[in-house]
Amino acid sequence: MLGIILAGGQGTRLGKLTKSTAKPAVPFGGRYRIIDFTLSNCANSGIDTVGVITQYKPLELNAHIGNGASWGLSEQNGGVTVLQPYSASDGEKWFKGTAHAIYQNIEYIDRMNPTYVLILSGDHIYKMDYEAMLAYHQAKKASLTVGVIPVTNEEAKRFGIMNTDETERIIQFEEKPEQPKSNLASMGIYIFNWATLKKYLQDSYATDGSLEDFGHDVIPAYLEHNEAVFAYAFDGYWRDVGTIYSLWQSNMEFLSPNSTLNIGDRNWRIYSKALALPPMLLTESAKVKNSMIVDGCYVAGTVTHSILSQNVKVGENSVVKDSMVMPNAVIGKDVVIDHALIGERAIIGDGARVVGSNEEIAVAGYREVLGGEQHEKE
Amino acid sequence: MKKNRLCAIINLIEPAEALLPLTEQRPLGTLPFAGRYRLLDFPLSCISNAGINTVALFLPRNGRSVGDHVRSGKDWDLDSLRGGVFTFPYNDLAVVAAQQQAEARHHFYDNYIQFLRKSGAEYVVILGTQNVNNIDISALWRYHQQRNNEMTTVYKFLPAEQVAADDQVVTLTEYGKATSILPLAEANIPAAATMVPKSLAIHMIDVRRLIELLQEANREGQAGGLNLVLKHAVMQNNTSAFEYTGFQANIRSIQDFYAANMQMLLEKNYQALFFSERQILTKVKNEIPSFFSRDSQVENCLVGTGSYIEGTVTHSVIFRNVLINRRARISDSVIMQGSRIGAGTVIEHAILDKSVVIGPNLKLIGTAEQPLVIGKGQHVYQQKEVVTQ
Repeated sequence: MLGIILAGGQGTRLGKLTKSTAKPAVPFGGRYRIIDFTLSNCANSGIDTVGVITQYKPLELNAHIGNGASWGLSEQNGGVTVLQPYSASDGEKWFKGTAHAIYQNIEYIDRMNPTYVLILSGDHIYKMDYEAMLAYHQAKKASLTVGVIPVTNEEAKRFGIMNTDETERIIQFEEKPEQPKSNLASMGIYIFNWATLKKYLQDSYATDGSLEDFGHDVIPAYLEHNEAVFAYAFDGYWRDVGTIYSLWQSNMEFLSPNSTLNIGDRNWRIYSKALALPPMLLTESAKVKNSMIVDGCYVAGTVTHSILSQNVKVGENSVVKDSMVMPNAVIGKDVVIDHALIGERAIIGDGARVVGSNEEIAVAGYREVLGGEQHEKE
Repeated sequence: MKKNRLCAIINLIEPAEALLPLTEQRPLGTLPFAGRYRLLDFPLSCISNAGINTVALFLPRNGRSVGDHVRSGKDWDLDSLRGGVFTFPYNDLAVVAAQQQAEARHHFYDNYIQFLRKSGAEYVVILGTQNVNNIDISALWRYHQQRNNEMTTVYKFLPAEQVAADDQVVTLTEYGKATSILPLAEANIPAAATMVPKSLAIHMIDVRRLIELLQEANREGQAGGLNLVLKHAVMQNNTSAFEYTGFQANIRSIQDFYAANMQMLLEKNYQALFFSERQILTKVKNEIPSFFSRDSQVENCLVGTGSYIEGTVTHSVIFRNVLINRRARISDSVIMQGSRIGAGTVIEHAILDKSVVIGPNLKLIGTAEQPLVIGKGQHVYQQKEVVTQ
């Protein structure tokens, strides 16, 4: 089975945090980037060939993925391949949607010659065994299997909802329904029989090109043609971190030692590009409670219920509370940070306040400089 | 730098008896240090930062811990197409029986010579792991070429009271040459000297010259090893002396090892060694972030990743993946990776080697001069099992 991760989305709802990088490259949980979860799931599920489709601001993401060795995905006949839009004699091949992106990469997929293609999103936080999903797909003799997760009735109105029969076969798909008939939301995870999907895509782009998006176009087309489409229910921890609030909230959940994500499970590790940074230094004035900190950090202030990522500095008399600070951010002295996401390489000058609330999380953007003009000159 | 003009030898054949039991299962070079490193990381990083591609590791006995740590050398960018890391285990004449000395000696010198010939390098830098430092080998190399001597040796001026009678010191001429490397007691240093030029056991030498010296030593039946060959070479009066001015710690004993770890808690040392323009590299691990609980209290500490801390920790070096349970109180100690400390246990002035398990409500108390040492993998569940040295 070949894995394809769709990592081209801009993530406009993350505002300042994705102004200069793609959503899957946004830091998460102190020492990860969002895409690490999907890549690690592939590696742990025994999928050794993965294509990562990028489009929006791919520099950071490409640098992060490298040759895939950080996830053990650098095999000679496989490994990670970054797939970017390209131009050809028949025009430029920018991706117009998720299914269109697969169509544009038929050459790559055919070269790997898979029986099954696993399509994944690069922007979800979860641990999942795709091998078990493939076994289900094979047992059901499915043409397409869609990963689904039970959500509440209220949440169901924001998702693509799958209505199934008693054999778990999907009989109807409704996007963001007002009156949901089931609570099974699509996770954006699909296993396709490649030969069938390829035919659908080629037929579509030979005619009207209507199959742009998996949820919006391909699943309805499959249902219409009576393909065997099944729902594979997942019941573990799964979060879509598409908004500032959900990104902040997922980080706060990650911080809990009782999180059902179980990040410490050594049988299903989440890998990332690891750097050789010195151990964190907590000085005599440091007060750290209920927090996660990683190497390269320097803490002289107070950190409560927060996550500090690599190389973060927190100066004396500063307070960081209920917040997530991304790599290489520098927080000066006498700073207050509360209910906030602090972007990579942001500089928060002495005495500055970045204070949000449960209703509105405060954000300092990538490389943003806030307050404390004096500090730089010292 | 053009590839392969300079190669390196890391000599791991170093005295380690004074660090028992920490060196029972490893050479000095793979002793864990400062929360996430091994002593070997310092010379490896210096070599890597100077753009050197070809490195030989000479080991006293089996190289398991060295092999586990270094692997392909990738983490130090030493797995390039040209060059690489070459290991030579069991290359210590001191452990060979008398009747086999002659044959063993030939192999011993031949290993060095073969490596040097194959490297294709013009110059070689030789380092050990006993001295923790972050030397700029590129600067040493420029100096070596400018001085136009066959050899350059490295020293650092230290306050006289920090140099012991058996520490090796460099005798300097007025014109910056070195004429000998001798123990302080034999070195004829004026008693009034406040600063003493201590040898860092780092040398740079022309490859052809070193091959000649090794062949000569083999012919003469010398069994003193590479360091002795180099010391004799210095006395031939053609050696430049290069002064190193950065951080250094000399790991000769348990006390030195303990003190050097404690020195890393001083911000100026931590910044000087780890945030200089020449990064210290090490084998990277995929540990999760360290977690500090609601009731934890951690001050003045170095902490590696993957640790889980519920107790109180002050003025200590905590390595990766250490678990410290509730109400445990740890101060002035070094706790290596994978160790587990039970609830309510008190640990003061102690060194816990890797994967040590300490039960609840125990007292492990050493002193700053004589830290209590618990060997690798030991499980201590009862107070009577705690033996003070």
